[in-house]
Amino acid sequence: MDLRLDAGLRTRVLRVRALGRERMRPLGLEADRLGRPIPADHPFFAELVRLGLGRTRWSGEDAAEPGGFGARAVVVLAEEMAYWDRGVAVAFPGPGLGEAPLLSLGTAEQRERFLGPFRTPDRPRWGALAMTEPGAGSDVAGIRTAAHREAGGWVLSGAKSFAANASRADWIVVFATVDPGLGRDGHRAFVVERGAPGLGDFHVEHKMGLKAYESTSFTLRDCCVPDANLLGGESAYDRRAGFKGAMRSFNATRPAIAAMAVGMGRAALDESHAFARANGLLGRPRIRDRLANVRRRLRAARLLCWRAAQLADERRPNALEASMAKAVAPAAAFDAAMLGMEILGEVGGRGDSLVEKLFRDAKAMDIVEGTGQIQRIVMARQLVDLPRDREG
Amino acid sequence: MPDFTLSPDLVLLQETVRSFAAQELRPRERAAEAARGIDGGVASACETIGLARLELPESLGGAGLGALAGAIVREELGAGDAGAALALDPLGPVLYALRDFGGEDALRAFALPVLEAAGARAILVFDAMPRIHTEGRRAHGTLPWVPADRADLLVVLERERAYVLRDSIACEPVRGTGLRAAGASALRIEGSPVLAEWVSTPCARRTLAHARLHAAALLVGVMRQAAEFSRRYARDRVAFGRPIAHHQALAFLITDMAAAVDAARLLVWEAAWRLDSGLAADEACASAFVECAEASMFVAPNALQILGGHGFMQDHPVEKYLRDARALGLLLGGIDAARDDAERDLLGIAGPVDLGGDDPQGELHAASS
Repeated sequence: MDLRLDAGLRTRVLRVRALGRERMRPLGLEADRLGRPIPADHPFFAELVRLGLGRTRWSGEDAAEPGGFGARAVVVLAEEMAYWDRGVAVAFPGPGLGEAPLLSLGTAEQRERFLGPFRTPDRPRWGALAMTEPGAGSDVAGIRTAAHREAGGWVLSGAKSFAANASRADWIVVFATVDPGLGRDGHRAFVVERGAPGLGDFHVEHKMGLKAYESTSFTLRDCCVPDANLLGGESAYDRRAGFKGAMRSFNATRPAIAAMAVGMGRAALDESHAFARANGLLGRPRIRDRLANVRRRLRAARLLCWRAAQLADERRPNALEASMAKAVAPAAAFDAAMLGMEILGEVGGRGDSLVEKLFRDAKAMDIVEGTGQIQRIVMARQLVDLPRDREG
Repeated sequence: MPDFTLSPDLVLLQETVRSFAAQELRPRERAAEAARGIDGGVASACETIGLARLELPESLGGAGLGALAGAIVREELGAGDAGAALALDPLGPVLYALRDFGGEDALRAFALPVLEAAGARAILVFDAMPRIHTEGRRAHGTLPWVPADRADLLVVLERERAYVLRDSIACEPVRGTGLRAAGASALRIEGSPVLAEWVSTPCARRTLAHARLHAAALLVGVMRQAAEFSRRYARDRVAFGRPIAHHQALAFLITDMAAAVDAARLLVWEAAWRLDSGLAADEACASAFVECAEASMFVAPNALQILGGHGFMQDHPVEKYLRDARALGLLLGGIDAARDDAERDLLGIAGPVDLGGDDPQGELHAASS
């Protein structure tokens, strides 16, 4: 057992730290003040691309899994990014959440077509993923966006909600169903490209927090998608195990989202500790006890994230551990921000402090990538064989 | 890269102690509680594994293992029978006090005789109040409860000093809330000669850190076993047409209990790793104790609750887990004394708050700002 970071990762953390302090946090505060996402043509995004960011993890080789950049490195860096601003981190160019299904499910040709432009991007490019619908969030099996086969391709009809970066994306990985009665067995994943006929009605949602990136709803009206854009091709869906196995790779993202929560909680802890110190509140045991509780819970959450990520790195089952990290970290982060508001008191109530922004930002972490309740259901399946109400 | 993998030696040790606890301790937990002690067969089986000398330096015939090994062994023993774990470890945390304050000479003078006398027990008390006073070279005072029926050696730890007593200590048996396999006594110290005394705040903090981790690891074992027992029960027990574990209120409770156990264990491991690596560990050990004591008061009562009426009856072990956990959390000044140490650095630091692990944040912050 050794919890040290290696030298390479340390250097990367330091780089993120400099970028975070100088650019991410000010930009996040500005977006929050203006109440709108950072525009896609903001020079910051071009600057990131020049720095070598906004790229795919995919090396270009015909391998389903990218090498090099392990889950633990992702978790450590995600925590540091979110410490400075989680909203800005999500707005970063890159293939985003669409990358994982492309890597695990996509054919070699699809990876080249859709991830290839992200290897050394010429300009800021985004990818996106759309699963959630107005009527189906946690209940993923309940999506209604319909996929119908036609000559040479597919026709998609439905509505999608809350997809990050969708209106600026080159493509969106859209989940649809060939038969809602089949639950997850009926699901198909398509890469819908920008400008596809029938893709439209983009609406950028107004959120409580995390305003720096766009959460976008859109509709698919008889949207035609060629056969070549069905992720993995027809054969990927013949055996349910294949699709399910591919979906399991999502277990690497849960620890990263949980780590982001740890970073946000850490920011709230640092801010409220500094405020308490500056205002002579640290002499009060009641304040100190609560700061120490938050610190301890965040520390435990960080260790849970690291453990789940190590299992992912070792290609060992981590459904229980990944969900545990995701169940624990957001609650710890939100409590950190809530405590921060209490310590700031009316200064927090003014609505113009970082702690107040974190209080609005942090709540989302218990909702995205599976709510805390969904994580507990996943854990209960592992721990007590909780049955599925419906095959999903 | 952060790596939680245990070395093959530690895995072997863990498996050995786990099967010892399952075969020797758990089946006898009620008998040991009633007898206020462990039977000779168990003690000699334990002697074979060498559990009493794990952390003793090799130069004194010990295995010279570190804090992580100690934590892993104690979790397994705690999952078997926490009271027996204390009874089987005659030195207990007294080892740390003698080692950290007095080095090998003190261990030779005071620890080895305890290890050599059959059934002897050495007791460490953290006496910040204090309840024991020294006048000249003699100590007086009373302690309401220690988990032992004899005290062959008593090391009294204060914030800045430690001293050793051996004679004129009267043990009055009390019932004890938990840990009864280790015994339960009130101690009356009447003019006990101070055999050795050391003054050092750093040594006191270090001893306290090690001792807290000792209790914390036992707590991890107790709550793990409580969570595991109730989890299995909830899968088997049927009510309203399905296993009670499949009612979501209980399913979620069980997941949260599992998370509490794992979080507590990881804090213990991290603190142990810090001790073994020579990193600052006072806060980490104190925090680990706070977490374990508090989490055990979430896990153990709910384990009993899951069993309902059966949980309250002594036919099942969960009521014992609850009593043992409550008792362990009272040791060394309990949660509030640990908070004092966990929070001390919050008063001092001006920059970001270190969350532990590799301290990539705090340390790198310091490096970059």
